[in-house]
Amino acid sequence: MDTLRLLGAITALEPRAKQKENTDRAAVEVPVDAFYSLMGRLKSDPQLAFDMLYTHTAVDWSAKGEGPGEFELVYQLYSMTHGHYLLVSTRIPRDNPVAPTVSPIWKIAEWQEREVYDMFGVLYENHRDLRRLFLEDGWNGFPLRKDYKDEFMLERPE
Amino acid sequence: MGMITEKLPGYIEPVPGGSVLLTSMDKLINWSRSNSLWPLTFGTSCCAIEIMMASGAARHDLARFGAEVTRPSPRQADLLVVAGTIVKRMAPRLRTLYEQMGEPRYVMATGSCAISGGPFIYNSYSTIRGADEILPVDVYVPGCPPRPEAFFYGILTLQKMIKLGETIRKPGVRKKPVLAALPPGVTLDQIQKEMAALLEKDAVINLDEANRLREEWANIKMAGNEGA
Repeated sequence: MDTLRLLGAITALEPRAKQKENTDRAAVEVPVDAFYSLMGRLKSDPQLAFDMLYTHTAVDWSAKGEGPGEFELVYQLYSMTHGHYLLVSTRIPRDNPVAPTVSPIWKIAEWQEREVYDMFGVLYENHRDLRRLFLEDGWNGFPLRKDYKDEFMLERPE
Repeated sequence: MGMITEKLPGYIEPVPGGSVLLTSMDKLINWSRSNSLWPLTFGTSCCAIEIMMASGAARHDLARFGAEVTRPSPRQADLLVVAGTIVKRMAPRLRTLYEQMGEPRYVMATGSCAISGGPFIYNSYSTIRGADEILPVDVYVPGCPPRPEAFFYGILTLQKMIKLGETIRKPGVRKKPVLAALPPGVTLDQIQKEMAALLEKDAVINLDEANRLREEWANIKMAGNEGA
């Protein structure tokens, strides 16, 4: 399915899905309450059939002196049957980073979400085993957050 | 033993029923050590592509310097080439590998990351700022990553160091080789004066000379216009 028809089909599934601008592939942003049901339908719909979640990561959208900011959770999907790609993103507040897990839909999400938890501290509801993946278990803080600091880190001199 | 072992370039090896005097053994041993370095295959990032693949392959051929026998086990290796970024979790493992190598052992730090942390020196939660924070490094090879030629220069420097260095009587004591020295008959003062004169000549504008050149250019331009 080409990008335009793909976006049309997704808007039909979820009218609140907004198309993202300046992207080379189909990309949509959905509110977090509509997110989980949309992801389930993206996989089960035979016209879309997104059977592979190949990347999941997060973006820390926070700037100094501009409130708490937001995390943008980014999911890259691919369909083995049809060969098309889709980027789905959703935004959650940075001071209460709770998101639904998609691991019941794609099993691989379990580890990808553990990595995002490890680096950004995003809490996934109903995740089976939310532990750190790369860092030591006793690590304090989440190093890819923009305000992260520790005593090992060397500050860049001005 | 006293006098002989202190003054002679030799070594008395006690054997059952007496002893044997060995002379010039250090030279022979160092020569053979320097020409049969066995590196440990330890690549943690992109430098490993240059150091282990490009240098070992046919075009550059590490075997020319007798260091092509890369070993996957530290117990069989005597040269640890730190090729790449070292992160906090890797550091204790790297130290263990170093401890497992037999004496004498040599360490080369190749690439910016292994020398100082490279691009990850600031604001990194994980990168160790240089291999010398955890290991005694003998030779540093700069580059990001270094080309095979640079790596070979490092190997040759290490060979020079081994040949100069350790003796059987003082194991573990190494002399660093002199890589660049002033030519005979030239002093540092002369070089500094020459450099200062050159810099002054470059930095000072001679106004008369500049005016003369400008007139010359104007004449050439006029002559060109007349010709047209």
